[in-house]
Amino acid sequence: MQKSLIVILVVVIIVVAGVAAAWQLTQVPSAEARNIKIGLVAGGQLAEGQDMDRAAKLAVKEINDAGGVYVAEWHTSVEIELVSIDTVDDSNSKSVGPVTQAVEESQVDLLIGGYTSSGTLANQKVAIDNRVPYIITGASSSLVTRRGPQANYGGLPEGSELRIDDAEGMSYMFHYCTTTADYSATVVKFFAEEMKPLLETTYGFNASRNLKLAILYRNDPFGQGVVADSKAIIDAENLPIDVVIERSYPTTATNFQTDLTAIKEADPDAVYVVDFIANTAEIIREGQADVGLNTVYIAVECCEDPAFYTLLGEYGSDQLLESKFAPYAGPPYYLESIATYVTNYQEEYNTLPGMMGADTYDAFYIAADAIERAGTLDKAAVRAAIESCALDQMLIITETGKIQFSTGTDYHEIAPVTFIEQLVWNEDVNECRSVIVYPATAEGVGTLKQASFALPTGYEPGSP
Amino acid sequence: MITSGLIQALLWGVASGCIYILLATGLNIIFGVMKLVNFAHGQLLMIGAYIAFTVTTALGLNAYLAILVAMGAVALIGVGLERFTFRKVLGTDKLNEIFVSLGLIYVFENAAALLWGNTTRQISSPLQGLQLSIGQIAISYDRLSSILIVVVILVALFLLLKKTKIGLAMRATSQKISASMLMGVNTEKVYMYTFALGAALAGAAGALYGIIFNFNPTIGALPTIKAFAIIIIGGLGSIPGAVVGGLLYGIAENTAVYFLGGVWQDAIAFALLIIVLVIRPTGIFGEKGE
Repeated sequence: MQKSLIVILVVVIIVVAGVAAAWQLTQVPSAEARNIKIGLVAGGQLAEGQDMDRAAKLAVKEINDAGGVYVAEWHTSVEIELVSIDTVDDSNSKSVGPVTQAVEESQVDLLIGGYTSSGTLANQKVAIDNRVPYIITGASSSLVTRRGPQANYGGLPEGSELRIDDAEGMSYMFHYCTTTADYSATVVKFFAEEMKPLLETTYGFNASRNLKLAILYRNDPFGQGVVADSKAIIDAENLPIDVVIERSYPTTATNFQTDLTAIKEADPDAVYVVDFIANTAEIIREGQADVGLNTVYIAVECCEDPAFYTLLGEYGSDQLLESKFAPYAGPPYYLESIATYVTNYQEEYNTLPGMMGADTYDAFYIAADAIERAGTLDKAAVRAAIESCALDQMLIITETGKIQFSTGTDYHEIAPVTFIEQLVWNEDVNECRSVIVYPATAEGVGTLKQASFALPTGYEPGSP
Repeated sequence: MITSGLIQALLWGVASGCIYILLATGLNIIFGVMKLVNFAHGQLLMIGAYIAFTVTTALGLNAYLAILVAMGAVALIGVGLERFTFRKVLGTDKLNEIFVSLGLIYVFENAAALLWGNTTRQISSPLQGLQLSIGQIAISYDRLSSILIVVVILVALFLLLKKTKIGLAMRATSQKISASMLMGVNTEKVYMYTFALGAALAGAAGALYGIIFNFNPTIGALPTIKAFAIIIIGGLGSIPGAVVGGLLYGIAENTAVYFLGGVWQDAIAFALLIIVLVIRPTGIFGEKGE
């Protein structure tokens, strides 16, 4: 009996050891394992592009230092290799070639970035044709994911050159950014809910008087999108706002006094400026210094960058900025992750981060998470994994507290929360800093508002 | 109906035209004497802006005094350019001259990006925020100063060309190089002074540009195109033409913006160019053979 037991025990041990050895053999890192190549599409000539580059390097460093990304197919963790795709100024002519080179020659596994709407709409075709997942962190035009069949071509008319019929190719596009509709909604609702009542109490305006809004915008898909979306939201929600004048200018314009003079003649209560950092700062400065248009200016979130605050100087005092990431509105910050990111970014680069970098930083973690869940670098599998992302929000607040890409008509977009900041002059740093003035709260954050909106010193409203 | 807004727009046209007048005048001087078209002239404006920015931020120099430093520094750069690049190709195929200047565009832009970075900058002015208002019309002191400075520079240029030996030599060389050589004019020195003078004007334009607008390494292209349009309108080689052309261009541009919106500014300005060329192909003050 005892002998039988010993024999059985030995056999069991041998079998278990054999199974363990066999299993161990299958977990040996594959010889095919290699670094994950992620291409960062950013304009190196732009302050925003430089911010994206710094944020990308920070994210890659953190992910790699933490052990890299586990790829189940290879039974090992691998590092991310950042492939820089410099689109210079992200214009149409300069944004396609570098992306083509990265996809065809460098054979990147995934793309992250894109800044201008026009440049991204041009270069994304390369990713679409080659079935490369592209997490677009800029380009506020919703067309970057809605120009295909899944979103009914974003309302583009039949025959439009912007329409893309390749549904499968479009499924590789993801928009981790606010759209012109997202932040236009926040801007016009702020004017309706906060500024209009303040004008009434301050100047005794009749409640039936609509707020007079002027829109000054660059003449490209970005600017046109903002104007169209703002007006659509005003109409759809019957907001008490009149767009008294809209003026556009070519993207090459460098001075805006004449447009601002025409706007001054229209007598608005506020001016909505739709452009990037340099031109927006120039407009706000010229408006006050040259034209004497002493109104409230509101800039869009792509201006949330150290360069904007520097260029604005004192002209930024009391002006407004729509944003979704506020490194200047703290500490304390409304999200702990922001404090950590700002600290790490400052330690690494000795400057504060901008908004574009925040989107980019999150996107690298989204990519890493997707690859881990896919277990492979097969692009179709990674695409599917990005689509099923359910990470907790990171630097960008979302309506659900999660990073999730929709599959409805707002195809492959997230649901970000945007807010309005008011800039306040800080003598210690000789620049403006910001406080959040609207909305009061946000899901997953709680209280967001840090101060009440106040009309600028020397503010001149439109006529009663 | 003449509204205050229209008058204001005309005033902006004059103010913005002044900077381009300086740039175009420099271009015209170089062309007039050396028969050389320098496509990198706008990059000299950009360098001027950066030099002025550097001396105001690093040395705390007044922005308006920095204009003199920018003029001197860019003039020296101009001497170097003439001596070591254009002199080698002057008189050879015109294409050589064109390609040298086109190549210099990229050299200057990349050098500026390397030295100063790509970040957009602006020169801080002691007159910042100050404005002269007359009724509904207002103009910042910076813009007013730019108009006055341009007038002073143009008067000084006039005196240099009319009352000095080097000015006489430059005018002689521009009229007939062979004859001026026979009269003992050292044309190589004249070319050097001419290029330095043209570059100095570009440097002054750059310093003023940097006070009024923000700038980065790539801003040189658009002013160059406008300067060329202005000298074609005014007449190649004609300094009065550059002045009148610059004013007309600035006024046309801003009037177009006022009435039609910013998207029309370039179309209207170049329509003016076409109209002038159709009516007078040599430009307003141009001479046949240029």
